[in-house]
Amino acid sequence: MNSTGGLIDSPVSQRIDQIGKLFVEGAARLLGRATDNHGLTAETLIPRVKSAVDKYILRGDPQASAEVIQDFIDKLQADDLCLILACEQGNQKAWTDLVERFSATVRSAARSASSNEDGADDLAQSIWAELHGLRVREDGKPAGKLAYYSGRGSLAGWLRAVVAQLAIDQHRKQSRLVQTEEDADFDRIIQQGQEETSWSGHGASPNPELQISAKLAGAQMQKALAESVKQMQAEDRLLVKLYYFDGLRLREAGAVLGVHEATASRRLTRIHTELRQQVEKLLIEQEGWTQSETARAFSEVALNLETDIEPLLATEPVLMKKENEVAG
Amino acid sequence: MKPANNNEVDLLLRALARERTGAAWRSGSDGGDAEGISSDHLDADELNSYAEGLAPAAARARYIEHLAECAACRGIVVGLTQAAGVATRLEDPAQTRGAGFWKRLSEFLSPKVLGYAIPALVLTAVIGIGFIALKQRQGSQFVAQNERRSETPPAAQHQTDSGLSSAAQPQPSVQNGTQSGRIAEVPKERTALEDEKLQAGQGSGKSDASVAKIAPSKDAGQADVGSVVESRPYAPEPKAAEAPPPAPVINPEKSAELAKERSEKREDQPRDQNEEFRVQTDDVHGPNRSRSNTAQAATQRGAGIMAGRGPSADKNKKGADVETRSVMGRHFTREGDAWVDTAYEYSQATVRVARGSDQFRALVADEPAIRTIAAQLNGVVIVVWKNRAYRIQ
Repeated sequence: MNSTGGLIDSPVSQRIDQIGKLFVEGAARLLGRATDNHGLTAETLIPRVKSAVDKYILRGDPQASAEVIQDFIDKLQADDLCLILACEQGNQKAWTDLVERFSATVRSAARSASSNEDGADDLAQSIWAELHGLRVREDGKPAGKLAYYSGRGSLAGWLRAVVAQLAIDQHRKQSRLVQTEEDADFDRIIQQGQEETSWSGHGASPNPELQISAKLAGAQMQKALAESVKQMQAEDRLLVKLYYFDGLRLREAGAVLGVHEATASRRLTRIHTELRQQVEKLLIEQEGWTQSETARAFSEVALNLETDIEPLLATEPVLMKKENEVAG
Repeated sequence: MKPANNNEVDLLLRALARERTGAAWRSGSDGGDAEGISSDHLDADELNSYAEGLAPAAARARYIEHLAECAACRGIVVGLTQAAGVATRLEDPAQTRGAGFWKRLSEFLSPKVLGYAIPALVLTAVIGIGFIALKQRQGSQFVAQNERRSETPPAAQHQTDSGLSSAAQPQPSVQNGTQSGRIAEVPKERTALEDEKLQAGQGSGKSDASVAKIAPSKDAGQADVGSVVESRPYAPEPKAAEAPPPAPVINPEKSAELAKERSEKREDQPRDQNEEFRVQTDDVHGPNRSRSNTAQAATQRGAGIMAGRGPSADKNKKGADVETRSVMGRHFTREGDAWVDTAYEYSQATVRVARGSDQFRALVADEPAIRTIAAQLNGVVIVVWKNRAYRIQ
């Protein structure tokens, strides 16, 4: 019997107690690890620790073991988290410390995200306002972005991410305004680009029948390839997006995935093989193609793309120029 | 799959990307692939934890799902990854350290690898044993030569001893002739020795053989000092002109006693005297080196000081000349064109950062001390900072 509620301890309540205890002990250890705790207490840290564990561990695995949770808490950035919490608490010294230590980081990130120096200055200034919070919460404290720092990654990295997100938000707001004026022009350019970049065999045979046939084959192959990409595993799909859609080098794409360039290259080769097999399968099963037809279509479409690579590339500067103009 | 087939898919993917990029530009997603993805982007904390490789496995899988569809978040992650200097990060440490260890061990012990490794080990062992045996044979040759030397008739020994006038003194070997003056004297003295031997009715062939066989004994080191003393008469004496007058006839017994006495005397010499000589021999080159050719120097040479000459001595000297700098509490040594942090281990993965690049600016913004280091040290700098090695160039 439970001494407090008179109820038998269920596994659920035992689990809750266990996790609660982990939070308390973890917060105390975290405070002990910090070189400057800014006068915080373990109780102040517990809600933030709990929030971080919920977000990164329990949301994905509600039955995560005590060791996993403990390990996670022990890897939180103690100094950075204490600094941010102290800032949230209104500790002026902590706030000064934050600005002094990270103003260079924020400025560097703003410069990377902005196309000009003035824009970078504006962005960097607005970041501090965003962090501090212009609005006031119910408890009278500012409702800034500081509340979203979990301590899992470095504070410098988090600030960079905040700057990048803010830059995108600002860019979208600006582009929405400009878009109303130039929407029609831009759509026309895209449409034109799509027509020109179509992989359905433009510039091939002058025979209209063959042209229609090639166009149809190209459209079906395009559809099958898009479907195959969608069916790929997320990590492979991410690699394809990074390499083909975002134009990253293999080394950079590998870094985003946390693998070496050589590994990324091997993966890409495997992806090519799997994609081809999948496209062939879809064309045969859904479109009724034969094996030889798929092989021939691959060769023909690829040949057309290869020969027409110059006009394809020629459309890109137009789009990019327009994009830059919109971005200001 | 043939490479040509891969090229076809590669071209098709490029074309697909071009078509989708235009459509996705304003939406922030990847065009037609964005079904089911709401505007619920990853927050800054999640983006950063992913970019720094700190997201737990389950969370990471979720983020990858999102990133594969969301161009905006992907763009931020790419920027963060580059800024964090994770561009050269190797494989996931969890994979390489945890389960990967057993996998690598099993791969290492696989029959395929062992098929090559065992013959290679056997071959290495055979070469090693052969090398040791060869060394031992060289040592035994030296002993045999000494014994043959002792068999020479006393008359001949007397002739050679008196001719060299310093038979009882431990003299530097031919190797000591690294001093330029001595090298010039060696052929002349050898000729004189041969002449004397011819006069004494000895076959010049034998004396040549003796001289030639002494050479390997010079490498025998300190342990062979006594033996070398006995075999000195056959070695060319570089400084015969400065040596004291010819010693009286010394029979083998007396010679041994004298050698023993000398070795005791050597042991009694104060250490600082040894060090003084060492400094002198290290520092003096060219003509000045003749000054070091004193009796004391000769005895010290017998103690193996000269063994420090040659490549090993140069190496030591080079080691002493290593250029070092200390900046921001880090110690650097000059290695070629690079300044290398003494804490750096060559097995450690480095993050390459070009001076003036965005990545460099981001790095020095986070770590101003690295800016100071990079400013004070020219050229390539390898610095270990917070357990991460950066190669600034």
